[in-house]
Amino acid sequence: MAPDDSLKRRSFLKAAGGAAAAATLAGCTGDDTQESTDTTEESGGDDTTEEMGGEETTAEDDSESGGTTLTYARGSSSGSLDFQSTTSGEVAKVTNQIYNGLVQFDPGTTSIVSGLATEYNVDGSTITMTLREGVQFHNGEEFTADDYVATYERFTNPDHEYYPGDDYVSAYGSYSLGTIDSVEKTGDYGLEITLAKPYAPMIPNLAMFCSRVHSEAAIQEYGDTLNENAVGTGPFELDNWDQGNERIRLSANDDYWGEVPKVDEVVFTVVGKNNSRAQTLDSGGADIIDGLGAGSSQIVEESNNAELVSMPGINVGYMAFNMARFEPFRNKKVRQAVNYAINTKAIVDTIFQGIASEASQPIPESVMGYNDSLDPYPYDTEQAQSLLEEAGYGDGFEFELATFKNPRTYNPSPIQAAQTVKSNLNEVGITVNINQQPFDPFLEYTDTYKHDACFLGWMTDNADPDNFHYALLHPGVSTDAVPDGQDWIDPDNHDGINTLDAAAWANTEYMNLVEEAQTSYEESARAPKYEQAAEIFHEEVPWVAMNHAKALRGVGNHVEGFKIAPIAGPFLNVVSLNE
Amino acid sequence: MSTQTETEDVGDRGVVERLRASPFLSQLLSNRLAVAGLAIIFGMLAIGLYARLFIDLQSVTTSQIGTNPNVAPPSWLGPKEAQVVTDYGTWAYPFGTDIQSRDIFRRVLYGAWIALKFGTITVAASTVLGVGLGIIAAYYGDITDNVIMRTMDVLLAFPSLLLALALVAIFGSGLWKVVIALTLVYTPRFARVVRGAALKVLEDEYIEATEALGAKDPRVLVRHILPNCLAPITVQSTLNFGLAIIDIAALSFLGFGSEAGTPEWGLMLANGVELGLLTGDWWWSFFPGLFLAITVLGFNLLGDGMRDALDPRMRETVD
Amino acid sequence: MISKRFVIKRLLLLVPVLFGVATFVFAILHLSPGDPARVIAGQRASEEFVRQIRTELGLNDPIWVQYGRFLFEAVQLDFGQSYQIQRGQPVTEVLRYKLPVTLEMAIYGQLFGILLGIPAGLLGAVKQDAVSDHVTRIGALTGISVPIYWSGPLVILLFAQVLGWFPASGRIASEFSIEPITGVITFDTLISGNFAAFQSAAMHLLLPSLVIGIYSMALISRMMRSSMLEVIRQDYMRTARAKGQGSKITVMKHGFQNALIPVVTVIGIQFGSLLGGAVLTETVFGIAGIGTLLVRAIQVGDYPIVQGTVLTFAFLFTMVNLLVDITYSYLDPRIEQ
Repeated sequence: MAPDDSLKRRSFLKAAGGAAAAATLAGCTGDDTQESTDTTEESGGDDTTEEMGGEETTAEDDSESGGTTLTYARGSSSGSLDFQSTTSGEVAKVTNQIYNGLVQFDPGTTSIVSGLATEYNVDGSTITMTLREGVQFHNGEEFTADDYVATYERFTNPDHEYYPGDDYVSAYGSYSLGTIDSVEKTGDYGLEITLAKPYAPMIPNLAMFCSRVHSEAAIQEYGDTLNENAVGTGPFELDNWDQGNERIRLSANDDYWGEVPKVDEVVFTVVGKNNSRAQTLDSGGADIIDGLGAGSSQIVEESNNAELVSMPGINVGYMAFNMARFEPFRNKKVRQAVNYAINTKAIVDTIFQGIASEASQPIPESVMGYNDSLDPYPYDTEQAQSLLEEAGYGDGFEFELATFKNPRTYNPSPIQAAQTVKSNLNEVGITVNINQQPFDPFLEYTDTYKHDACFLGWMTDNADPDNFHYALLHPGVSTDAVPDGQDWIDPDNHDGINTLDAAAWANTEYMNLVEEAQTSYEESARAPKYEQAAEIFHEEVPWVAMNHAKALRGVGNHVEGFKIAPIAGPFLNVVSLNE
Repeated sequence: MSTQTETEDVGDRGVVERLRASPFLSQLLSNRLAVAGLAIIFGMLAIGLYARLFIDLQSVTTSQIGTNPNVAPPSWLGPKEAQVVTDYGTWAYPFGTDIQSRDIFRRVLYGAWIALKFGTITVAASTVLGVGLGIIAAYYGDITDNVIMRTMDVLLAFPSLLLALALVAIFGSGLWKVVIALTLVYTPRFARVVRGAALKVLEDEYIEATEALGAKDPRVLVRHILPNCLAPITVQSTLNFGLAIIDIAALSFLGFGSEAGTPEWGLMLANGVELGLLTGDWWWSFFPGLFLAITVLGFNLLGDGMRDALDPRMRETVD
Repeated sequence: MISKRFVIKRLLLLVPVLFGVATFVFAILHLSPGDPARVIAGQRASEEFVRQIRTELGLNDPIWVQYGRFLFEAVQLDFGQSYQIQRGQPVTEVLRYKLPVTLEMAIYGQLFGILLGIPAGLLGAVKQDAVSDHVTRIGALTGISVPIYWSGPLVILLFAQVLGWFPASGRIASEFSIEPITGVITFDTLISGNFAAFQSAAMHLLLPSLVIGIYSMALISRMMRSSMLEVIRQDYMRTARAKGQGSKITVMKHGFQNALIPVVTVIGIQFGSLLGGAVLTETVFGIAGIGTLLVRAIQVGDYPIVQGTVLTFAFLFTMVNLLVDITYSYLDPRIEQ
């Protein structure tokens, strides 16, 4: 970090801006079925390629050179090869290569394209699908509707013979597919999925990493050891998993139904330290790396052999006010005052060192329903002070800020950020006591609403606005359950409350909007509702929305066709290597 | 351990007096390496006290970006290429600065205070605990002895750093919790040494004699056994001091000790290794490690010298 | 000769210790903050899902039932399944891949320590002038005073960064893919005849083992020297010399075996702290053994892994100590009483 730092940061932001434009508001367009087999077809690739240095639009006709191995290095290993047994993004990076979903995300964007289903049709609470014929699993079995039914039952039905146990399957089964009432086959290549209610996020949920398709034969064969034996339909198949060296080797599936990989092999390796990983990229020991922080991205930027690629990530980091527990936070003016008093810009620029951007609302710009008329609260202690006085807290108050200790993508230095919040608020007479905990005890702490305020964050599952607005700010109870004239609920009085709503916020107007937005499949109908919801959020500020962290990758100069993806990546079948 | 038990009249004389009477101190002071160790320890103590009194903790904890140059090498080496710095005298930042632009020199100095403070607490606590348990075990014998020493055996069945990590998994992280964990880790060593020494003392008749005179338990323990175990305890404490400082820093290095920002050597090393080592910013981890190693060396030199002074045969060479 | 009685007595003594160790390890899970079920379930799980997991794991049972179950399963080497790191995989399965990694590094490190430490100690004993005395003494004390997490980075800086002779981290270059046979990479590559891979593995291993070895060497050389001096001083040696049985060298030869006894003890004890040091060495050199596994497991709250790892370390440590005792009794039969 030399003083010429600012210059770098500027070019960095420029690059990021370009990418942001690429990932436009590409939501899920209900019955508009896309049939292409070439998944790269209408991507936003042009924009992202800009920063990847001299790369032309498509990498389609690259010659296949013999014996090429693509090495993808990351910070920690996969603990499983089964997308149904994990909540880890590291696992998804590998399973995304091996498995396909019925529908999938278009590489580099958030729009949905066909996968193992060639067509889908949504009508109220019924989704009908036509499946792709002639697709083979890596074990030679042919893919049919039975495979999906088996996959679905294995994940969500504890009474089914395929169900591998509560401590095996991840919470994603009920979380993402919980709205499904039943999955029936209507023929070898037909499926009918019935939902409990019309539910717009269902299609993106079906494109998620956890909604991919197992082979029924493999389920029968491996049962709960499917996490070490992967059999999919994807562009790569499992070669071996060397656990001692944390190395997973995949080989190209030459019979792949989509775009056949241009490399022969992909190796996922682990280099624990960010800087070592960046160094490994520079010295040619890896072709693509992820998990970069401020220091390591600088190494990549300075390297002559590699390029730093970035794009705004679909995530959010925030500080939630617990209105159920801490009385002063029930006053809107107090919440606004805190928003004014915290210098989020300084946190993002100097503490997160520019690998994030300031947030004005729960969703980042690339997600449908982003309201671009909203700005982050400026740093204004005078305004904060006068709001506090209006609210009757001119002399300040004292509260506990709970935070996790270790860095997470959406909050790369939680402790230092908390210390900044503490000293910022001290200036307006508010005393902050920081309570730092490891992540899991911390989650339990916030789940049970023991915090006055807490840092939290969220990484998207499906790039849908519902996954932020509803998931994080809807209390999970009906509007009738919210007492009149009150915009929060007491978690002790309600069962089945959405504990991710760490603010215990229950603004009925907001709740109605995000509920309505779930029932309509048309983007044109949904987007305005989310824009309106964001406006309410911005006025009521149940959180201090802090930042959206960027997605950063280091890519070797000899790598062609790599597109950084905000979701469901990496897409390695479209990548080729130049010698 | 012969020097102490040889002394005949242990009666009521003060500890210092007894030490002076023994050849221990003069032996020790004639050992040049031990004296060097002592000098290092006093030097570090002076540095630590200076840092505690004259360095503003805030200025070495929080980010100084904008105030100081960022990740600058030690200033006597001259600035990095393309580094435009105004206040860059030769000795402005003798150890350079880190990623938060903090002055590593003053951080390292402050680290001496933290290391000595928490090292002392750890050693003192485990000494008291271990000595107490050891004497009680030796004095009461039987079941008490068995229960105490078998528990100590269990604790000794773990490699020390591993036990500390397991305890940290229970207690959670933080410097104070590390101190508690390490206290429990070291206690068995003291208990063992002291129990052995105490048993030897108990074998001597005079304890029996005192008992016959009607002295009750606590007095016998404190007045007679303790002074006689003093020598092995002191050596064990000194040697453990170095270990405690290394282990505290090790747990911080692994991320279970001091809070982010604290000018603690282990944490500084961790940051330096994680962020600076491969970018060539060597000064960041080099200086905290150097000070750490020197401090530990000081205690090891002293402890080693003490052991020799207690067991003079070790010094003899064959004719 | 090793007497059977001694070995049996020593083994019987192990029982209460291992029982205590198991109890402590059981306590790790139950005294730790946080709800294990929540750790497994993650951020997106509903309360109901968490409750289900709690029931499935038997966390609602009375503590003594859980304790009994833990002991019963532990003697069958079943430590449950990983919560997070290798979710759903048996802990033993996870350790099976990680343990050889650590052992390999530790053993090479110890070999370095022995091969360098014994000659250095002997040399110090032969040349008994003040200079050599000071040199060996200061050398050894410095060796144990320099923490691995400082010498490691320094070695990386010099040999990997500046000179570029050795790789800075990892176990083998990424172009090699080794089907693990034993998990000991230098062995696996060798018997599969892949010499290029063997070379890469050896180059990767050299720096970490050297760093570990320096620490061992310091202690071993010191003990070798003082124990050699002690033996030389003993009466029968004097007698031997008085009888005119030759030069100093002969005396040395004679004394060597006796002098080795305490050195063996140090090597044994040293191996234990070496296992502890493995956590640090693996962290510095980015090696995925059980040391880094433990650190990560503590960070993410994967308690079965913490339990399994700690138990494995304690078991290894205890076994090494047992071996040391038995060797000791073999070398010095008087120990039996």
